[in-house]
Amino acid sequence: MGRFAVSNQSLEATVDPELVRKWVKDIGSDSTAAVPLLQAIQTEYRYLPRKAMDLVVGNTSITASQLFGVATFYAQFRLRPVGRHMIRVCHGTACHVSGADRLDTAIRQILGLQDPDQDTAANGSYTLEKVACIGCCSLAPVMVVGEETFPNLKGADAQRSLQKHAKAAKEVLPGDAGQKDADGDTKDASEAKKSKKSGEARP
Amino acid sequence: MTITIGEGTCGIAAGARDVAALLKQRFPEAHMQSVSCLGMCHQEPMIEIANPDGKSYLYGKVNKKNLPKIVHFHQGKGDIPAANFIRSSDEPDTDKGSYLTSQTRIALRNVGHLDPTSVESFRARGGYKAIEKILKGGMSPEAVLEEVKTSNLRGRGGAGFPTAIKWGFARSAPGYPKYLVCNGDEGDPGAFMDRSLLEGDPHSVLEGMLIAAYAIGASKGYAYIRAEYPLAVKFFGQALQDARQLGYLGDKILGTDFSFDIKIKEGAGAFVCGEETALLASIEGQRGMPRIRPPFPAIQGLFGKPTIINNVETLANLAWIINNGGASYAAIGTEKSKGTKVFALAGAVSRGGLVEVPMGMSIGEVINKIGGGSASGRAIKAVQLGGPSGGCIPASMFDTPIDYDAINATGAIMGSGGMVVMDSQSCMVDIARYFLDFTQVESCGKCTFCRVGTLRMKEILSKICEGKGTMEDLQILEDLAPQIKDASLCGLGQTAPNPVLTTLKYFRDEYIAHVQDKRCPGGVCKALITHTINQKDCTGCTICKRYCPANCITGELKKPETWVIDQSLCINCGMCKEVCNPEAVIVESLGLTAAHSQPMRASA
Repeated sequence: MGRFAVSNQSLEATVDPELVRKWVKDIGSDSTAAVPLLQAIQTEYRYLPRKAMDLVVGNTSITASQLFGVATFYAQFRLRPVGRHMIRVCHGTACHVSGADRLDTAIRQILGLQDPDQDTAANGSYTLEKVACIGCCSLAPVMVVGEETFPNLKGADAQRSLQKHAKAAKEVLPGDAGQKDADGDTKDASEAKKSKKSGEARP
Repeated sequence: MTITIGEGTCGIAAGARDVAALLKQRFPEAHMQSVSCLGMCHQEPMIEIANPDGKSYLYGKVNKKNLPKIVHFHQGKGDIPAANFIRSSDEPDTDKGSYLTSQTRIALRNVGHLDPTSVESFRARGGYKAIEKILKGGMSPEAVLEEVKTSNLRGRGGAGFPTAIKWGFARSAPGYPKYLVCNGDEGDPGAFMDRSLLEGDPHSVLEGMLIAAYAIGASKGYAYIRAEYPLAVKFFGQALQDARQLGYLGDKILGTDFSFDIKIKEGAGAFVCGEETALLASIEGQRGMPRIRPPFPAIQGLFGKPTIINNVETLANLAWIINNGGASYAAIGTEKSKGTKVFALAGAVSRGGLVEVPMGMSIGEVINKIGGGSASGRAIKAVQLGGPSGGCIPASMFDTPIDYDAINATGAIMGSGGMVVMDSQSCMVDIARYFLDFTQVESCGKCTFCRVGTLRMKEILSKICEGKGTMEDLQILEDLAPQIKDASLCGLGQTAPNPVLTTLKYFRDEYIAHVQDKRCPGGVCKALITHTINQKDCTGCTICKRYCPANCITGELKKPETWVIDQSLCINCGMCKEVCNPEAVIVESLGLTAAHSQPMRASA
């Protein structure tokens, strides 16, 4: 499957041309404005809608090749729409050695992301993003959901934090473990935890 | 009563805001002060309570549960809560407190001691004295340059070029206007010094920019700050506003002929922009690709004008040097590396955080004395220094002093100062692969050797991690490395092979174990390990099954003897091991010898 196999089409934004013109007026229209203009667009729409970029090209002296060149060069910019909430998992050195990969596995599981190219849950709730380092190395591994940072995580903690977040944000997690056990042969996670803690399951 | 709360990014992540709200409830009359990270990130959230009598107490790992004990103590009820107590004004050198007392803080002198959003708080600690001394005291730009030359300050961004010499080039270069750029685009994974400085003491960086601009004759400045550090961008923006209002920034600063103003440019996430010429291209609105030097930016930089780019930490040292004299700075450190260096200590170490030590202190002292040694109790194997451009230094060489030249001699580099400690449960081949994966993605693609060479190296390392490597591959890695170094235009490609070369040099046995024995000694490489359940320790609680993403664990509730992992389905993600409380999941890397009786799985 290609990089754009999962299109997230349903999440595409409607671009307001007036807004783009206002940014051009505030930020500038020469070539140095390319990065800040893209940043303004992404802050508003959370990705770079094609139409907004065309409007920038039409209203400034920035060429399409410069603008698209810049947009595809920097890690910050996204050309695909994202879910309603962002999950950023840090993959800095300290996080890598402390198990950032397991956070990825756990989050992909709970979001129901099967295809390795898929980064957004099918219901448009969350998008998982890998980031290089968010500078919280002493609290590794770390993930950021929306504006909130979660430190010292294990895979299971990441799932629990997401469940909490989803509950508060009224979102459904497509791959939630609760649904996985429809056959009913295992106990609920919290029950299992309780029984383990009290040691009652030990023969 | 004054209550100080550490609300840097790390403090907030650990829950400082909740603690602050609770304290405000408990002590409504107290003066609450929010400071940035004190550097003891391992103790976050941290608070300091100063009683009305002036005695102050520092506490760490404060949360909802243990806060009442601390509150009681300050209400005169109960004993000092030992679990959270770090140090008091009476007793600064406790076991935990030695983290701070073992350091020499120059660049970090204000971090954690002032409110980064208050210019008054900065001035109360002697802020802007240096620029006043220069401008009001009639110090000439030459005299400033001379003072910095005396200090022997070298650039803290990584390469360690003498600051005053670089400034001299720009000062004498023709062209107007001249630019001064602060490089706050800390892209190294594992480093966060710049974040802490910009978040914790933005005015000191600003004052450093003023000093540098005055010395080289710059009238315009840019602060290039990572967009991933929103708090740093916000606080630095606030600092600019306040400084402008007080006449420290803008036209005719402090009534003199010196005019200088600063704009913030947010970086957009490209490691290669740590390279001067790439950073300049980025400010100009282009893809951040480096160009051939010379001409050096000091002669022909931003928009073709003379430009000096200084790292955040370099700038944070300047006011101290002007206030205390270059000679006192040069009195600290080794013969060729003067002053102090800030490190971001993280990984398998007990006390991680920001550490500032005099040059010449040994790496081992930083890790063991300040960092408190291994966090897990397992033996420390190595330290990764300098991020993707650096290398791994084995524990046997921990007496190496912190000195640009001594560290370069090991094959690593000082870099911006990331120090990631690794214990016996890390795999050095995996670490090399991790860094090559990073540099390969971050290569701008301009130079073929960097673009294709790093990719080829990464492929070979992945092959080795999967147990498919040959001894010939090690030779190819060693042949490729010097070619990538020589044929790359900028620092990214020139240093990209360092992690591979240092691990091959110091941990060759681990490579050989992967290649010949198909075994990962650290138990990390997924294709070479197995997860099994030790039924003796198992309680049959089912939690591993619940969290297994591969659905490969089966067994009956409360019947430990029935629990097994289906090796043909297991992806070795380690989730089961993580959630298992009685530690019944065993990870083994049995290798070739055992493979005769138990076939190894080819790949995860």
